[in-house]
Amino acid sequence: MNRDSNHKETHGEMTTGPKYWRSLDELADKPAFKEWLHREFPQGASEVDGVNRRHFLKIMAASFGAAGLGLAGCRRPEQNILPYSQQPESSIPGIPVYYTTSMPDARDNLPLVVETHQHRPTHVEGNRDFLPYGGAVHRFAPASVLNLYDPDRMTSSYEGNRRVTGERIKDVLAGLASKFGPTSGQGMAILAEPSTSPTRLRIKKALLKKYPRLLWAEYSPTVGSNPERAAARLFGRPSRPLYQLDKAGRILSVDADFLNGEAGNVGLARAYGKGRKVRNQDEAGNMSRLYAVESSFSVTGGMADHRLRLSTGNMTAFLALLTAELLELDNGDPHMADFLRERASGLSVDPAWVKECARDLLDNREHSVIVPGSHLSVEAQQLAIYANQLVGGLDHTVVYAELPEDESSSIRELAAAIGDKAIESLLILGGNPVYNAPADLDWISLQKSVPEVIRHGYYYDETSLEAGLSIAATHYLESWGDGRTLDGTYVPVQPMIMPLFEAFQEEEILARLAGMSLADPYGLVLDTFTESYASSKGAAEKDFQRFLSNGFLPESGYRLLKAASLNVSGVRENLSPAVLAPRATGPENLEVRLMASNSSGDGFYNNNGWLQECPDPITKLTWDNAILISPALAKHLGFDTKAGDFLIGGVSKKNANFKRGREESRIAELTCNGVTVRGPVHIQPGLDDWTVILPLGYGRSQVGRVGTGTGFNAYPLSHSAEGLLRSGGKLVITGEGYRLANTQEHWSMEGRAIVREGNVGTYEENANFVAETGMESHSPPVYGHDKGMDLSGKSLQTPRGGSSYETPDFGDPPPNVNVWQDPEAREKFIPEQQWGMSIDLNSCTGCNACIISCQSENNIPIVGKDQIMRGREMHWIRLDRYYSSGDLEENRNELPADPQSSIMPVGCQHCEMAPCEQVCPVNATVHDRQGLNVMAYNRCVGTRYCANNCPYKVRRFNFFDYNKRATDEFYAGPLGTNQYKIEGAALKAMQKNPDVTVRMRGVMEKCTYCVQRIEQAKIAQRVIARDSNNIKVADGVIRTACQSACPTEAIVFGDISDESTAVYQSKMNDRDYALLGYLNTRPRTTYLARLRNPNPKMPDYAEALSRTEYKSTQKSSGHGEAQGGSHGAEPAAHGEEHATETHTEEGHGGH
Amino acid sequence: MANLFPKWSNSVPLKVIIVICVLGVTGVAGVTYYFTPKYARVGYAPKQPVAYNHYLHVEQLGLDCRYCHSHVDESGHANVPDSATCMNCHSQVKKDSALLEPVRNSYNSGEPVEWVRIHKTPDYVYFNHSVHVNRGISCVECHGQINEMETVYHAEPLTMAFCLDCHRNPENFIRPLDEVYNLNWTPENPAAQAEWARETVIEANINPPQSCSGCHR
Repeated sequence: MNRDSNHKETHGEMTTGPKYWRSLDELADKPAFKEWLHREFPQGASEVDGVNRRHFLKIMAASFGAAGLGLAGCRRPEQNILPYSQQPESSIPGIPVYYTTSMPDARDNLPLVVETHQHRPTHVEGNRDFLPYGGAVHRFAPASVLNLYDPDRMTSSYEGNRRVTGERIKDVLAGLASKFGPTSGQGMAILAEPSTSPTRLRIKKALLKKYPRLLWAEYSPTVGSNPERAAARLFGRPSRPLYQLDKAGRILSVDADFLNGEAGNVGLARAYGKGRKVRNQDEAGNMSRLYAVESSFSVTGGMADHRLRLSTGNMTAFLALLTAELLELDNGDPHMADFLRERASGLSVDPAWVKECARDLLDNREHSVIVPGSHLSVEAQQLAIYANQLVGGLDHTVVYAELPEDESSSIRELAAAIGDKAIESLLILGGNPVYNAPADLDWISLQKSVPEVIRHGYYYDETSLEAGLSIAATHYLESWGDGRTLDGTYVPVQPMIMPLFEAFQEEEILARLAGMSLADPYGLVLDTFTESYASSKGAAEKDFQRFLSNGFLPESGYRLLKAASLNVSGVRENLSPAVLAPRATGPENLEVRLMASNSSGDGFYNNNGWLQECPDPITKLTWDNAILISPALAKHLGFDTKAGDFLIGGVSKKNANFKRGREESRIAELTCNGVTVRGPVHIQPGLDDWTVILPLGYGRSQVGRVGTGTGFNAYPLSHSAEGLLRSGGKLVITGEGYRLANTQEHWSMEGRAIVREGNVGTYEENANFVAETGMESHSPPVYGHDKGMDLSGKSLQTPRGGSSYETPDFGDPPPNVNVWQDPEAREKFIPEQQWGMSIDLNSCTGCNACIISCQSENNIPIVGKDQIMRGREMHWIRLDRYYSSGDLEENRNELPADPQSSIMPVGCQHCEMAPCEQVCPVNATVHDRQGLNVMAYNRCVGTRYCANNCPYKVRRFNFFDYNKRATDEFYAGPLGTNQYKIEGAALKAMQKNPDVTVRMRGVMEKCTYCVQRIEQAKIAQRVIARDSNNIKVADGVIRTACQSACPTEAIVFGDISDESTAVYQSKMNDRDYALLGYLNTRPRTTYLARLRNPNPKMPDYAEALSRTEYKSTQKSSGHGEAQGGSHGAEPAAHGEEHATETHTEEGHGGH
Repeated sequence: MANLFPKWSNSVPLKVIIVICVLGVTGVAGVTYYFTPKYARVGYAPKQPVAYNHYLHVEQLGLDCRYCHSHVDESGHANVPDSATCMNCHSQVKKDSALLEPVRNSYNSGEPVEWVRIHKTPDYVYFNHSVHVNRGISCVECHGQINEMETVYHAEPLTMAFCLDCHRNPENFIRPLDEVYNLNWTPENPAAQAEWARETVIEANINPPQSCSGCHR
């Protein structure tokens, strides 16, 4: 490494940037981590196991010889063109067709637009016409397309081990109908998943009319109905709160992860994002403020301006205290206040925190809202409603929507009926109760005791295994259906493709059981539409077509209830003292919280490789779940920061907790009420001290190839009465180790001024605080004399700055075209549009939707856990998550219990002076005239010099044929199975975007700014232009995949040479800065610094912690400018230090 | 001292030279034949399932390219017509011809006619027909005089150099938009055409991409 150009700023007091630590080991300055930092690729990433270079050359020489014998193989194979026999209307080969649909969900169907190529869906985006969601998605929506083409899905229905045809299924259903017709359904039960579909509700009602004694139960482990139940109690009819976060200036989240986990999170995140948009200094004061009280560290908590750690069991008590405080501050009912305060007394939270929070909420009357998590008790929900009334939020920041009557039994009632031997035939629609029913029900024995079990499901899973008849279900992209969004807007579910296999929809099964004359799903949906939504009977068909075309029915939301009809006096009667009482927790009495995992939900998505490989937003774990414990608990259990391990009997058994992407973790046993669960431990700062978090959805026993062997099953701890929150847990660390694949330490940026942030106050005092942070403020100016040039000029002319090299000038015509040599002609030249991106760190929540959307659009392969552990993940965009605690000294010795987190999405920055381009020996990565840093795969020979030289570490190398080989056969090379030729290969290939090359082994790849979309838009514009010069693509036409997925509109893309574009405006913001800008790379992607909006009156008010850390380095090194000077001396010492450490490590290895 | 080299060694240099020449010629010939598109592709005229005669249909009957390749001006692909397009005429004309058997079968069965692909860019090249024909590049520039071919063959090498010739100097190749599908068109006045082309390139800003991203994604 050239020491003169060594910009490393990590060590100790010499650091100039805010010091973020990302993993506990970096914090602990582990030798392994230091070594890691010094390698351009993590060690294993550039070594071939078991084959040394000489051996490799030998093999290569032999294979070249062999190749010479078969020259005839160079003639291209004969290919056929297969046109349609009769081409369908509206289908033009080569042009994708987009259809609207929606993704079914228990509470909130997500309106979508699906891209289809010759009628095969390839990519899912949101429906931009549905304004509340604005075309955004959560990560499960783009990932769902992979489930459609999953070779492990059920390809046929089964009776025992025998494949059966659809006719047989129809016979069985008819048999059921005739059997239970005479008994009015006595002895028949249906267990379904909650659904928003009006058609299903209609059929269900018809079914219950025909079989009045049928037992209809609904169950989903992670969908709570407490908000609805609480609202129903107070309103006297079924209703649901709808939070209007765009109208809320003050938001208090009480254990609610509304940006990520709660129902309707896409709309909530969108509305929240609007409140965080700050265009200039004057708008900073209007920014919303988010208070979060939570036990886990959620995406929402990461965005919070004030965050209070509290166990989930104490949330009701917290709400009681808050309500009491609100009553007292507002001179409300003193009896109620005393009652609440008395019941909740003993809760250990800072009274000043509650008081000032309450005061702030009251000061912003009608613009404040309290959002309780949907898993909280009904009492907590009621208190939240009451508190919302006190802060004037009802009818302003929260409205209540009346839900249709829909009664179902619970799984407990069904279990009781089965226990009483009252059920002869059980029909299970979807779900997976054998895997995820509350453990105390012992569902598997119950299911076995039912004489006839029929299961309708998408996968052959644990439940199918115990069912006599398994009916294959269709994917929603193959189904006709309907549903409603959270606010009740009616949306269609429209098929993109005929069912790939013979499969049934649940609507059809139910309609057959109900003996309806029409069982065709399309007809069923059309009937529902005609009955309830068409303007008139005659116009139904036409209205339906318009409805399908729009993708939603405007003005069809639930009727809103007036808060005046709210019976808040009922709140007190409904509060039992027991629920308000604080719950004591401690290291021997842990609160155990089971949560839907961010990757596989309740377990349904366990076989989805994209989601498995998508790092968790906070822990950054892939392919596994882990028992998340707080640093306090870890310390109690004997975790030693210095050793980076749990000391068992005072001894650590290993050197480092982290090595490359591999997290060496310990297996722990968590016991709760006699049930023990084993799983690896991951220390997660920011958790409530005595709460452990167990993500659900892993450890499946009957699952496809992708999900097999991932994680551990936490469902055994679930309970039918207590749900997913248990108390009295005890954790024991065993001596056993386990390797987790964690991307947390990958692609390190070494703690420089990377994510820049400040408080609103900081920004109001100094609009330029962002530009004055970091090295740029004292390094030689990047643009030299041209510093004052506007952005448009900079992008078109690439001023030379201090460089001694001539730089390309995109504003001028290409020099090798004769026509443009004429100066008169030059005046008429229209330069290419210059693409750039702006990412607002103030609204990026880190939800991961962009990663999956990019993966789907750009044919990015998955690489498997083993490759992730070698640092070889392929995602083109990654989300770096940094922590800061405000105290660098403490960071080195302690694991901060309560850090602030900062998220930064990093893809290729498309540098104008790209370091990668300068080192490519074959010109495979070069600049084009639109300012894109392009990657020509067909030229790349795989030297990986570019990745070495990229300061952002965004280049991804295909170490193996990730598409051609299975994840467990990479090392077999040509001896492995060719995945293009196996059964199911055609299925997987159908997902691929035909406009993007599927890369093979040995080539580099990286974010392209979705160049295929850019080129298509340019071509479309030129087709319109014909022989005119109307060739500029309008702003907003090109949207990158990440941009269109983003729920908070954090990503803006467009032409930065045009002052009228959104991206230009965004880059004109004072908070705009370039990542590692002092390197003179001049990235086209720039960031808007994050603003935090803490309340100065709060006891935990502080300057943004990362900024405190940054400033502390400024003080300790005397003066910022001294940095450059001290560089020469620093690396030498650094090198020495490094050498000794390596030595020590080897010494250890020898033992 | 005895002769160091036996007599037969006198002819060794010559033999070596001959062998080297033979190897060299073979090598060059082999590479030329096998590796350059000009030899590997140009002239490629596979047998098609139906002996469709472009000369007959275009020159004698006067069909426009877009009657069959109907989406060439809208889509990246110039689609090969579906069997129904053929049957528009052949349900009445030559309706019992044995040569048209595969088309009739396809039309009735729904199975495609298996045409053999002639023009193909590599998988990593994203050629787009619509932008070319809408900006004044005629079919003939890449496909040759298809209108006169009784059997279609690969007329041009379609190498990257071939593409770049035009992308660097579009004024030598563009023509008025209403003559794009007239494959026999020649300018009446070459000098006037050259002036018109130059003007058009400037006025319409016809700047075909020379960067990788133009074609490789």
